[in-house]
Amino acid sequence: MDNQQHKIGSNEYAVQVHGVIKSFGSGDAKTVALKGVDFDARQGELLMIVGPSGCGKTTLLSVIAGTLAFDAGKVNVFGNPLHAMSKSETTLFRGKNIGFIFQQFNLIPTLSCVENVSVPLLINGATRAAAEKKATEVLEVVGLKGRENERPTNLSGGQQQRVAIARSLVHEPRLIICDEPTSALDKDNGAKIMELLREIARAPDRCVIVVSHDNRIYHFADRMTEMEDGKVQRVHETYKPVNFKDQ
Amino acid sequence: MYHLALKMLFSDRAKYIMLVSGLTFATLLMTQQAAVFFGILAWTNGNLKNMRAPIWVVDPKVEQANEIKSMRDTDVGRVRSIKGVEWAVPMYWGILQSRLSDGTFKAVQLVGLDSATMIGRPGNMIAGRIEDIRVPNTVVIDDLAVERLSKGRPKPIGIGDVFEINDKEARVAGICKTEKSFFGYPYIFTTYDQALQFAPKTRKMLSFILAHPAKGMTAKQACLEIEKETGLKAYTEEEFGLATIKWFFVNTGIPFSFFTTILMGFIVGVAIAGQTFYSFVLENLKHIGALKAMGASDWLLTRMVALQAFTVGLLGYGIGLGLTIVFGLLVLRKGMPPFSLPWQLPAVTFVIIMFICTFAALLGIAKVRKLEPAIVFRG
Ligand SMILES: Nc1ncnc2c1ncn2[C@@H]1O[C@H](COP(=O)(O)OP(=O)(O)O)[C@@H](O)[C@H]1O
Ligand SMILES: [Mg+2]
Repeated sequence: MDNQQHKIGSNEYAVQVHGVIKSFGSGDAKTVALKGVDFDARQGELLMIVGPSGCGKTTLLSVIAGTLAFDAGKVNVFGNPLHAMSKSETTLFRGKNIGFIFQQFNLIPTLSCVENVSVPLLINGATRAAAEKKATEVLEVVGLKGRENERPTNLSGGQQQRVAIARSLVHEPRLIICDEPTSALDKDNGAKIMELLREIARAPDRCVIVVSHDNRIYHFADRMTEMEDGKVQRVHETYKPVNFKDQ
Repeated sequence: MYHLALKMLFSDRAKYIMLVSGLTFATLLMTQQAAVFFGILAWTNGNLKNMRAPIWVVDPKVEQANEIKSMRDTDVGRVRSIKGVEWAVPMYWGILQSRLSDGTFKAVQLVGLDSATMIGRPGNMIAGRIEDIRVPNTVVIDDLAVERLSKGRPKPIGIGDVFEINDKEARVAGICKTEKSFFGYPYIFTTYDQALQFAPKTRKMLSFILAHPAKGMTAKQACLEIEKETGLKAYTEEEFGLATIKWFFVNTGIPFSFFTTILMGFIVGVAIAGQTFYSFVLENLKHIGALKAMGASDWLLTRMVALQAFTVGLLGYGIGLGLTIVFGLLVLRKGMPPFSLPWQLPAVTFVIIMFICTFAALLGIAKVRKLEPAIVFRG
């Protein structure tokens, strides 16, 4: 990997993380979850963050997504310095630029699929009609045409995660963040979701970051960042089988 | 986002129904109890409303309008002779037994009016003329008397019919309409002199002196002059009404028991709405966290939570007030229990319900604001 090619602030980088430190608690209960992390993700790639449980993957993802404040270091997302933004600027930034996919889908069960998917647009100030129109189109893209008005709880796990993917895409964010997106799914559904995510990542100007410790899906990654004990250990340019104790 | 906030609220049937019915109950309890209480207060001023006069002169020991300490007939002359008084007339008021044609007894309030002026006369005659009470042994009865005294008669008691007051015959010369009074007995009007014939003889029989201030004088000024010159107590109509209400507050447990019930309505409202709404917010915290992660600002979420709280508040208030009005219409037709719903009452209840909703919303909002969006990635 040639880091000289990608200068800090360059547009070719989707995400640059430099020297990030994050600790939780204080005194005896203090845990340092990120111990000076350097990390990057490029445009047009699906990057996977892997590593044993408790090594800091979710914490790093939260820092990149702008949902977690960190103690020290720099984080640039498409050239925007998160470390220099106020809390409300970060909130606004997340709403416009980041799509979220969660392990447990986190769909609102009392709302229909189309309503769930329209949420990011509504947060960004779209009208209800415009938001639902766009949401319907994106649901079709993820293969859920005709299920718009159903409640997510009536769908299978794989279908629910497709709804979540539609929701993460609907406002056309540049960075899509996924924490263990397949761990609640069986192998086939997991693979289908990953195919969909890789397709999405291939668009120019986009980047998908997936945290996982599910080795059945590692081969979908363009690059893989391996973490251990709050630090990045290695970056694999292409998929190589890795074995972790806790799998 | 607001339509989604409402849909989330309405979809949680159990909590939604609990919230609305809790607030309905609180509204109903507070408004209805206060209306009954105001109704009682209005009844305590029944005498003042039915026998209107700007000045009421009474024995100094009288504290309120439903109490009698009789004065001497000569006191009327003493009041009349005061410069600040334009006119002064005697009035008898007392509770007597009347005997119905089936032999049973009913209590009535006998009012004796000054025969020359008829001051204190009922404001609303339904049949006959008040002046006809000048004919010996005649009376004008009110609509409540028609209802109460008709028992045992083939048709309701009317003009020309005879009944007994304190064993003496009285012939009905007219029928009037009166406001409800504290004791709730029918009013029977006759002349002052005849009233003294109906009533059991005692040394002093004069209940009230009704008076009017001289030109260029206020009622209050005239009252002060009367008190100074005669040693009697003189109230303006308004003062007498307030004194009566004050007496009622100080000397009966009724206001306290109403206050307790109304307070209970308030507490139930706060408890149910606060507790249910807070648990509604807690249950949705995971989703609210996801919304926060997806870029929903604290301000947007605050407005969504407030919308949910005030929606149940308005619904509960509306239904509660509706039920109160239905209750009011039913009891007003029956005449019992007392009921009075001045517009200020629903306005105050509205403010209280909105206060409860604000409290409930703030509980939820505090929780939402403290929430870190990073929790969405934690199991
Ligand atoms: N909110 C928190 N409070 C305290 N400790 C935390 C918190 N979040 C994470 N940690 C700790 O930080 C470390 C890294 O956690 P995490 O990023 O969730 O790891 P991973 O996602 O790789 O399993 C763990 O030791 C975890 O216990
Ligand atoms: Mg994790």
